[in-house]
Amino acid sequence: MSKRTLPRILQTPAVLLLLVWMLVPLSMTLYFSFIRYVLNSTIRPEWTTPALSNWRGFGNYQYVLNAKDFWFAIQNSVFIVSSILVMTVILGLGIAVLINRSFPGRGIVRVLLISPFFVMPAVNGVLWINMILDPVLGLNGLAIAGLNNVIDGLRDFPGLGWFFSMWPKLEPISFRATQTSAYAVIMMVTWQWTPFAVLIFMTSLQSEDESQKEAATLDGASAWSQFINLTVPHLARPIAIVVMIQSIFHLSLYAEIEIVSRGNGNKNLPYLIGEFTSNNIGAASATGIFAVILANIIAIFLLRMVGKSLMD
Amino acid sequence: MATVTHSSKLGNILWPVLAWGVALIFFFPIFWMVFTSFKTDADAVKPEFLFSFTPTLENYTNMAENYDYWRFATNSVITSTFATLFALIVGVPAAYAMAFDPSRHTKDILMWMLSTKMLPAAAVLYPMTFLTKNFLGIFDTHFLVIVVLCLINLPIVIWMLFTYFKEIPKEIIEAGKMDGVSTWGEIKDILIPLAWGGIASTALLTFIFCWNEAYWTVRLTTIDAATLSKLIEGNRAPEGLFFGRLSAVSTAAVAPIVILGWFCQKQLVQGLTFGAVK
Repeated sequence: MSKRTLPRILQTPAVLLLLVWMLVPLSMTLYFSFIRYVLNSTIRPEWTTPALSNWRGFGNYQYVLNAKDFWFAIQNSVFIVSSILVMTVILGLGIAVLINRSFPGRGIVRVLLISPFFVMPAVNGVLWINMILDPVLGLNGLAIAGLNNVIDGLRDFPGLGWFFSMWPKLEPISFRATQTSAYAVIMMVTWQWTPFAVLIFMTSLQSEDESQKEAATLDGASAWSQFINLTVPHLARPIAIVVMIQSIFHLSLYAEIEIVSRGNGNKNLPYLIGEFTSNNIGAASATGIFAVILANIIAIFLLRMVGKSLMD
Repeated sequence: MATVTHSSKLGNILWPVLAWGVALIFFFPIFWMVFTSFKTDADAVKPEFLFSFTPTLENYTNMAENYDYWRFATNSVITSTFATLFALIVGVPAAYAMAFDPSRHTKDILMWMLSTKMLPAAAVLYPMTFLTKNFLGIFDTHFLVIVVLCLINLPIVIWMLFTYFKEIPKEIIEAGKMDGVSTWGEIKDILIPLAWGGIASTALLTFIFCWNEAYWTVRLTTIDAATLSKLIEGNRAPEGLFFGRLSAVSTAAVAPIVILGWFCQKQLVQGLTFGAVK
């Protein structure tokens, strides 16, 4: 056996498995995207089985491009992912700097902070949308009701009551509504993934070159200019990692969207595909191919950004 | 490491307060879930019992009959354990070869593997359902869930192991070769003992990802192989009819992983950074 053969053999199972996993379903999706294929049709029963005779060319793609939800789903996917990324990076940086010095109970603080990352997405969604954000029974509703009660009480205050009677009655925001359900998803995912950003930034901060900082301090550099000129460049790589890993996970966000509003007013691309899949497989597959193209564009960009540093 | 040196007295008090405040805010939703799980369903939605109530364990004692919790939990344990195991069995040799005997394609292979992770699962949902239901007849089996969980995590497993193995000096492995140790012997007697920490944290992280997975496990199962994700997603009570029991079953679903995560947080971080953050 030559020197090169063995390493190849060892890699083969992994490569083959991933190849099959990627190619078989994907080529089926590609095929379905070019034929008429619906699960229920009483008028055209021949469309309910996949066959080449139902060839539709780019018809499914045209249909999807003209579907009213398609562009919204793409915009919404981008909006959700980028909002989460911006918020987790900013919060993550702030919190990492905050806990990157010793204070009483630092170990416990770290344990408390990391916990949301381990909560399964299904529980995350159920917990936030019911117990916290529900406009009547959740803490959101209870807090607003409580505030209204306090204001109501002040309205009876002798002499000053007229002032408070001019205050508005507060209305809790319903996060299951069309416009707000995306915010609920962004909120819960940010809550879950900020700890991840914190941990990565903290690991990186701890490896920062302290002698450089000390020299800067001796030269009279302020804490702020040290942060901007030394710490931020040092954090470029961890930020790239945080962005890459989170993009992988959030582009396929599904459970949270399903739980918050069943996609009502808040579809992303995976969710739209899921909806098509309940009947129109042709359209679902065409949307799937668009999703693959979008993911590839983002993947190429991200892998370029991170790839170099990973191999050193 | 050195901390900020010019801290004032005020900063010494304010800083920990701020840090603790942020930590408590982040932990609050979890605390609230656990707290609510000790209220009856009726009490859980009454403002007058928001903080003072008579704690009860009935949500936990009734969990088995309300939700059939143990069946789903058993499925989660079985599928996550075996998926992790198989991912390691396939991943360790591959990462070993890539780390100690890299070719000029190694980088491309690794990149390609990671890019399979970016394929939107929804794009292949129907083919997967079609294949496993009509063609292979393995829909809603442990076998299917294990295979899928193994495959979706394999790229990350290989990446993580690769970055750990790269840290091991090549000379140690070479020395083993000189002594005529077989490849299997090298892996078993040299690599695994040396990289034990890395392998363990890879396994832990994979297990966590498997346990929390909520796309395939929900959509490729109905009853027999359904995991905790499916249980929770299927029983989200609209308008909070059952906040108490829902909190209890949610707590029971996340507790094993959160506690596992607490104990292993250091190892997990190291693995998650893909070795790119030292």
